[in-house]
Amino acid sequence: MIMPMTIRAIKKSEPSRLKAATIRIGAIILALITSSIFILLLDLNPANVYMKMVQGAFGTAYRARETIIKAIPLVITSLGIAIAFRMQFWNIGGEGQIAMGAFAASFVALNMSDMSKPILLLLMILAAMLVGGLWALIPAFFKAQWGTNETIVTLMMNYIGLKWIMYLQYGPWRDPNSLGFPKIANFTENAILPKLMGVHIGWIFALLLVAAVYIFLNHTKKGYEIAVIGESINTARYAGINIKRTILIAILLSGGLCGLVGMIQASGVNSTLSVEVTGGVGYTAIITAWLASLSAPVILVVSILFAALLEGGSYIQTVFGIPESAALILQGIILFFVLGSEFFVQYKFILVKNQNSVKKEVV
Amino acid sequence: MKNNYISMQNISKSFGKVVANKNINLTVHQGEIHALLGENGAGKSTLMSMLSGVYTPDGGSIFVKDKEVRFAAPKDAINAGIGMIYQHFKLIDVLTAKENIILGQKNGLFLNQRALTERIREMSARFGLDIDPDKKVYDMSVGEKQTLEILKVLHRGAEILILDEPTAVLTPQETEKLFKIMNRMKEEGCAVIFITHKMNEVMEVADRITVLRKGETVETVHKNSTNPKHLTELMMGCAVDLSIKRIETEKSKVAMEVKDLIAYNDEGVKVLKELSFSIYAGEILGVAGIAGGGQKELCEAIAGLQPVKQGEIIFEEENLVGKSPSEIIAKGVSMSFIPEDRLGMGLVASMDIVNNIVLKLYQRQKGFFINRKPAEQKSLEIVKRLDIQTPGINHPVRMLSGGNIQKVLLGRELDSKPQVLITAYPVRGLDINSCHTIYDILNEEKQKGVAVLYIGEDLDVLLELCDRIMVMCAGEITGIVDARNTTKEEIGLMMVGAVNSDIKEELS
Amino acid sequence: MKKTISLLLVLVLVFAVMLTGCGAKATPAAAPTETPKAEAIKVGFIYVGSANDGGYSQAHDEGRKYLQEQLGDKVETIIRESVPESSEVEKVINDMIDQGAKVIFSTSFGFMDFTEKAAKAHPDVKFYHCSGFKSGENFNNYFGAMEQARYLAGIVAGLKTETNKLGYVAAFEIPEVVRGINAFTLGAQSVNKEITVQVNWTHTWYDPAKEKEAAKALLDAGCDVLAQHQDTTATQQAAEEKGVWAIGYDLDTRDSAPKAYLTAPLWHWGKYYAAEVQNIIDGNWKQVNYYGDLKDGLIELAPLTANAPEGAQAAVDKAKASIIDGSLNVFAGPIKDQTGAVKVAEGSAMTFEEMMSVNWFVQGVEGKIK
Repeated sequence: MIMPMTIRAIKKSEPSRLKAATIRIGAIILALITSSIFILLLDLNPANVYMKMVQGAFGTAYRARETIIKAIPLVITSLGIAIAFRMQFWNIGGEGQIAMGAFAASFVALNMSDMSKPILLLLMILAAMLVGGLWALIPAFFKAQWGTNETIVTLMMNYIGLKWIMYLQYGPWRDPNSLGFPKIANFTENAILPKLMGVHIGWIFALLLVAAVYIFLNHTKKGYEIAVIGESINTARYAGINIKRTILIAILLSGGLCGLVGMIQASGVNSTLSVEVTGGVGYTAIITAWLASLSAPVILVVSILFAALLEGGSYIQTVFGIPESAALILQGIILFFVLGSEFFVQYKFILVKNQNSVKKEVV
Repeated sequence: MKNNYISMQNISKSFGKVVANKNINLTVHQGEIHALLGENGAGKSTLMSMLSGVYTPDGGSIFVKDKEVRFAAPKDAINAGIGMIYQHFKLIDVLTAKENIILGQKNGLFLNQRALTERIREMSARFGLDIDPDKKVYDMSVGEKQTLEILKVLHRGAEILILDEPTAVLTPQETEKLFKIMNRMKEEGCAVIFITHKMNEVMEVADRITVLRKGETVETVHKNSTNPKHLTELMMGCAVDLSIKRIETEKSKVAMEVKDLIAYNDEGVKVLKELSFSIYAGEILGVAGIAGGGQKELCEAIAGLQPVKQGEIIFEEENLVGKSPSEIIAKGVSMSFIPEDRLGMGLVASMDIVNNIVLKLYQRQKGFFINRKPAEQKSLEIVKRLDIQTPGINHPVRMLSGGNIQKVLLGRELDSKPQVLITAYPVRGLDINSCHTIYDILNEEKQKGVAVLYIGEDLDVLLELCDRIMVMCAGEITGIVDARNTTKEEIGLMMVGAVNSDIKEELS
Repeated sequence: MKKTISLLLVLVLVFAVMLTGCGAKATPAAAPTETPKAEAIKVGFIYVGSANDGGYSQAHDEGRKYLQEQLGDKVETIIRESVPESSEVEKVINDMIDQGAKVIFSTSFGFMDFTEKAAKAHPDVKFYHCSGFKSGENFNNYFGAMEQARYLAGIVAGLKTETNKLGYVAAFEIPEVVRGINAFTLGAQSVNKEITVQVNWTHTWYDPAKEKEAAKALLDAGCDVLAQHQDTTATQQAAEEKGVWAIGYDLDTRDSAPKAYLTAPLWHWGKYYAAEVQNIIDGNWKQVNYYGDLKDGLIELAPLTANAPEGAQAAVDKAKASIIDGSLNVFAGPIKDQTGAVKVAEGSAMTFEEMMSVNWFVQGVEGKIK
């Protein structure tokens, strides 16, 4: 007999740590099982594919380095986004801030290439952080002044930033030596980040910044004020916090970190500026920042794992000769379950029989 | 034999580890006003939420007209004839009374406007509700809105009405009117459940009273066989002294003087209209008025949060107008404002006690970093001094009970040793014991010579606690009276705008 | 904090699960794809589009399949598709080398600089870059005289058009594309002096939606035969929808737009790939840049469909024979540019270097090289 039933999502009071962990582990297992079905459809051995994904991310020193190179922009952008998100300023504009930071760094790199390497690199970093920060400041200013929605404005400014790079690439900055192909000239050697242990020194920046952002958010007055504003703007007002100033500082920092990513990617990875410089990191970092609950040390871990997922997915394409789309589907399934489990940590489902009968709790 | 309209038997409900209701029994008859009396956290609202379909009970049964029911959603409860009137009205401001009534109901594509108006008028007449069907909600007074809410649920076929602390937002006159409506509904054969913690109201209007304490039913009594003292004892579980003491101090120097204060809100509406008054060191100046009468704006203006168009606030021979909130805090003017949602201003809900204490300390610290050590020390002191019930100082304040949250807030404000203490609704939603703790704290401050501006809701408390009472209505001061020789009625009249001529003289 | 700790725990567990998966599966029998063929040489192909894009990348992938077929066990091919023309190329190459690749075919113009950089870093690996102009000690470039097939396609289009307006959906303003447009225009003008060719740039190699929009704009401007330098069939589909005609590129795609499709200039990379890899296996690798043509069979014009005008086959066959026997040079003077100035004098022809760096349109082309 079928009874009419409704499923209701109910917010849990306080999920216990054990329960939350169980749900998350369950999600991972489910993800692996679901992916397995898909892998079997491709006529491959799931366990083998998973093993290869791990190997592809960490299997050799070269691959581990590649994973770290992928993780560096994710870590720093996530840190930047976390600062804004702590304040409940929804900075979706990482892409644009990275692009503009890369633009500023490239401007310095292309026009002052005769400077000595340390000074040039320092100037590039400063320019990138400044311009990235200012780019983020525009929506913050609009919000402070006219109450515009920062989610939309930061998102829209991504397009402006990326189109600006495209304009430069196809127009004024096109390398005359490229025979018409729209590409900007490569940086000279002294504008390229040096390497340490086989990876450009962006990884040192990332580690230092994780520590710095952690201290900033948890042990400084400004970090405290940012958290207060994020929780309750009325309380902040009441406590006499200079709200506008704090917002501007936080957003300047948030955008500045994203801008720095632009510099690192243009200099350390691409050796030039192109529309591909952001690589979607501005959006991916939102996921990693959320998954890490906006905590700096956790961001480091999550970003590395996320980069490993990307690298592993890329590796299995060539190893198994599967199309890129199949690899993306696998990544998508895993991510879907991990993100989806967050919902189940917060909510539980209740089956309610519409007629008078017993109810049953699921999860 | 009386009809058992509603019967709730052995109802239990827990939230996580917190047991909100434990084996509660409640029976409501047709044609009675049944008061549900209990301290905050006694489980009244939880119980009613189950009756109105918001929560489902963990155990026990609900019977409506002797038939067992299970509500999966508020809709089911409405269909069973149960309507709930919440403290916060669920009305849409830009719509008319009529539109609000039909909103969300299943209708045909077209409305028979005339028939609807007719029906509303007919129902209004039957229950003595005074409502203009075409009046927009934003034009309505609080009392009218409440009447509209009642009409709305009646229109949906409710025969059992639950009113959740309905008088908290009303003037004494409006309260009288509400009681008349309730009595009328009783005569029409409805059942009314009336949630409250005010003893005098219970005695005035209820037929039977069920007292809850700590999630359990204590007793159901007939009004005629009880008295306020008895009820309080049932509620508290012990005998309590309900009187509030007023400590007499020498009227001394003026602590703060407000002159011709004018302010506008964001929409450009004049919210403070030439306010002038003084507050003396060592006195508690009460402020009475209907919500939205400018009390909040007055507090904020003094604290530097509300832009002032004109006028002066003189404190220590200096005008505070134009100074930033942090400058005003530094001067020794402290405000503890408890908004309706309690946590909206003053505290950061998700942070722990230490981090909330830091809020008023860190700005005095030098340098870039924050030092939480002194705040930890202070937190321990405050927790001890005000007897705050908390698992520890690193517990998020949102997890504390209302009274403890308010103690944290008040404790922090007092800790800064202010000369002027503004406290708005400090006992909002607190149980009787907590209320008295807070009155005692305020009296202590008064004795120390602090000028206390006390914005309150309960006129009885204002009359007992304060030295003088200033009444505000629509942004104006309609009178300042000596609390020792005034009456509730006099204040009630001033609350709705009747200017007290004696006072005008004193003011000029 | 609770949340973060549990999250950490989970993530650690994920990898624990994965790694135990590894351990359990470390038996060699379980991974047949991994057992390296003793003698097989690993060859990596990098495509800008998807390997079955119905166009340029697919043409290369067909070549790869031919190579695999011809050399069988001696070769193992790996591919990466949809690689952006950015530093990602270098990474993909490094990944492939990390996986044991000894030969890299990098097939898009924008891959050039990155391929060059990788070639310098890996002297033991042989690199091939298609369509560019750079080469090095272990680095060949290869391409073909597509202009010859474009010229033939122009003849078909010139005979077909009723409006005398041809449209050309083009990717980037690089010499390869400009050369193709010029050849197409000259071919069309060889049968119809009135012809003009309108050019619309998309700035993408592979973006069906954008290409379709560009094609529609040309159709709206009155063009009734469209040609393309794009890697998808979107242009042909736009023509089909409008009820006019189109010329494909890279692959014979007569089925994707059966009513519109006339013919297409084609690539046949397979022979070249097979020959080069065989040379490497034999130890006969040489640094030789390759520019194949109609004669080699690297380039071809697909067989005309029934949509092609009467007499077109004969005209194409005639021109093709002349090109193969050397009596017809597509870029022989006199050629005027858009301003009417003579760029190639009568009696001479464009040199290879001029062809490789052409940055002007012939008369009759309506469009601008930015």
